[in-house]
Amino acid sequence: MRIRSPKDFWAGLIFIAIGGGFVLLAQQYRLGDMHRMGPAMFPTLVGALLVLLGLIIALRAFAFDGESVPRFYLRPIGVSVLAIVLFGVALQWLGLIAAVAVLVLVGAYAARDVRPLENLALAAVMIAFSVAVFVWLLGLPLPLWPTS
Amino acid sequence: METLSNLAFGLGVALNWQNVLYCFIGCFLGTLVGVLPGIGPVATVAMLLPFTFGLNPAPALIMLAGIYYGAQYGGSTTAILVNIPGESSSVVTTLDGHQMARRGRAGPALGIAAIGSFIAGCIATLVIAYFAPPLAELALKFSPAEYFSLMVFGLIAAVVLARGSLVKAIAMVCFGILLGLVGTDVNSGVIRFAFGAPELADGLGFVALAMAFFGITDVVLNLEHGEKQEVFTSRIGNVLPTLEDLRTCFWSIVRGTGLGSLLGILPGGGALLASFAAYMFEKKVAKPPRAFGHGDIRGVAAPESANNAGAQTSFIPMLTLGIPSNPTMALMIGALMIQGIAPGPQVMTERPELFWGLIASMWIGNLMLLVLNLPLVGLWIKLLAVPYRLLFPAIFVFCCIGAYTVDNKVFDVYEIAALSAVGYVLLKLDCEPAPMVLGYILGPMMEENLRRAMMISFGDPMVLITRPISAAFLFAAIALLVAIALPALRAKREEAMQE
Repeated sequence: MRIRSPKDFWAGLIFIAIGGGFVLLAQQYRLGDMHRMGPAMFPTLVGALLVLLGLIIALRAFAFDGESVPRFYLRPIGVSVLAIVLFGVALQWLGLIAAVAVLVLVGAYAARDVRPLENLALAAVMIAFSVAVFVWLLGLPLPLWPTS
Repeated sequence: METLSNLAFGLGVALNWQNVLYCFIGCFLGTLVGVLPGIGPVATVAMLLPFTFGLNPAPALIMLAGIYYGAQYGGSTTAILVNIPGESSSVVTTLDGHQMARRGRAGPALGIAAIGSFIAGCIATLVIAYFAPPLAELALKFSPAEYFSLMVFGLIAAVVLARGSLVKAIAMVCFGILLGLVGTDVNSGVIRFAFGAPELADGLGFVALAMAFFGITDVVLNLEHGEKQEVFTSRIGNVLPTLEDLRTCFWSIVRGTGLGSLLGILPGGGALLASFAAYMFEKKVAKPPRAFGHGDIRGVAAPESANNAGAQTSFIPMLTLGIPSNPTMALMIGALMIQGIAPGPQVMTERPELFWGLIASMWIGNLMLLVLNLPLVGLWIKLLAVPYRLLFPAIFVFCCIGAYTVDNKVFDVYEIAALSAVGYVLLKLDCEPAPMVLGYILGPMMEENLRRAMMISFGDPMVLITRPISAAFLFAAIALLVAIALPALRAKREEAMQE
C-alpha cells in the first residue's frame, strides 16, 4: 500500500499520538461516571475523539492523493527557538538589557540576510525602546541588570 | 428608542479622555500592524494583553477592539499598493485593488476602501447596539446543556467556515481543548497534565499560545518564503474617489455591509469570511459591465466594507454569549478574564458602561481611522519600506517581554519556544492554528458546562437532545458538517479558498 498523501499521513499520526498521549496520561486521574464526571472523563473523551480523527486522516492518506511533506527549513525555526530560549536564560541571570541584546543579535540570524552592524544598531534601539516603554513608562517589574 | 438611549449612554462613556486616547492608540497600532505584512491583529492583541492588566476594563477593551478593526483599514493599504495583503482579510482586496493601482488609480482605491469601511463600521455599530441586548437576554435563559451545545455549534461553525481540511480543523480543535485542560481542574482540584511542573498549575496560558502560534511561527514562515515587494510609491495622487466612483460603489458598499454584518455574527465569522463572501457575491451580482480581477472598483468597495462590518459584529457573540467567533475574540475574552470579568450575557447587565462604552467607541474609532488613513497614506507607505529583517527581531522582543510580564515567569518564555516548534511542525502539515485557539478557550468552559448538565440530569447525556434549544444547536452543527461534506458544497468551499 502506497502512501498517496504523505502530508496528511504524518498529520494523522501526530494527532493519534497526541490524542493517545492525553488519554493515557488521563488514566492516572479519577474517571468517575457520566453523572459525576471525574478529572479524567472529559480529556479521555476528547482524546479518544482526536485519536479517531487522526486515524481518519491517516487512513485517507492511503486512499487519496495529496501533497508531500514540504521542506522543513531548519535555520529560521531553529535560530528563533534558540534565540527565545537564550532570552529566557539571559533575563533570569543577566537582566533585561542583556536579554534583549541576545534576542535581537541571535534572532537576526534566523533570516537569510544578516547585516551585523545593522543588527547592533537595531539591538540598541530595541533596548532603549524596551527600557523606556516597558520599564519606565508602564512600570513593569523587569530586572534591568544581572541579579547577583 | 431604547437603542439610541443606550448608544447615547455609551457615547458618554466612550468620550471621556482616557477612553478616547486608548481608542486612538488602538486604531493607530491596528492600522500600523495592518499595514505591515508579517504581523497581524491577533499577534498584536496577544502581545498587548499582558499590558492591559494595569488598565481599567473599558479602555483596555476599547484599545484592543481598535486594533482589530483598525487592522482591517491598514491591511487594505498594503493590499492595494503592494499586492501583499497586510491582513488575511485583505486578500481579496489585492485582486482588484492592486490592479487599480497599476492603472494609476491607487488613490481612489484607497479612498473607496476607507470610505466603504467607515460607512460599514457605523452601520455595524448600530447593528450591534440593536441586536446584542435581545440576544443576551435570550442567553441568560440558557442552562449548562444549552451552553455546551452552543459551544459545540460555535466550534463546528468556526471550523466549517475556515480554510483547509475539515477533519484536520476539527482535530486541531480537539488538540486545543486538550491543551486547555492542562492545569488545575476547578471541580476536583487535581492538577492535570502538568508533569509535576508547578508553573503549569494555571495552565499553559493563552498569551504564550497565541504568540507562539500566531506570532513566532508566522515570522518563521515569512522568513522561509523570503520577501519580494513591488511598491507603488509614485503618484498616489488624489485620494478621493470621484463622484462617479461613489455612485458606482453605492450598492456594493450596501451589499458588503449587509453581508459582512451577518457573517460577522456567526461563530467562525469575522472579517476574513466576510470579505471573501462579499467579493464572491459582488462578482455575481454587480451590474455589468464587470471588470473583476482587472481593477473594478466595486471589487474593492464590497470586501472592504464587509471586512469592517464583520470585524465589528464578530464582537456580538463574544459580548452577549461569551463565545468567541475567531481567535481575536478569544483573546478579547482573555482580556476580560485578566480584568476579572467573566464573559457572558451578564456582562451587559452587570457592566453596562463597559458594554455600551465599547460599542460607542467603535463609532469613534471608525471616525479616527477615516481621518488617519486618508491623509496619512504617505506615512504608511514609508513604513512599508522597512525591511523585514529589521522588523521581525522587534516582533520577537515584544512577544518575549509580553509573555514574561503576564506572570513574571521565565518559564512562559521557554513555553513560547516549545510551542513555536510544535506550531511550526503542525503548520507545515497544513494544520491551522486558529481552530486550536478557539478550542483552547472553549475547552474548559465546555467541560464545566457538560459536567453541570450531567449533574443536573443525573448522568443522562440525552438531556442534550431532549432540551429543544440544545438539540437545535447540535442539530445545526451536524447539519453544517453534513452540508460541507457534500461534494457540491465542498467544491464551492474549495473554490472560494483557492482565490
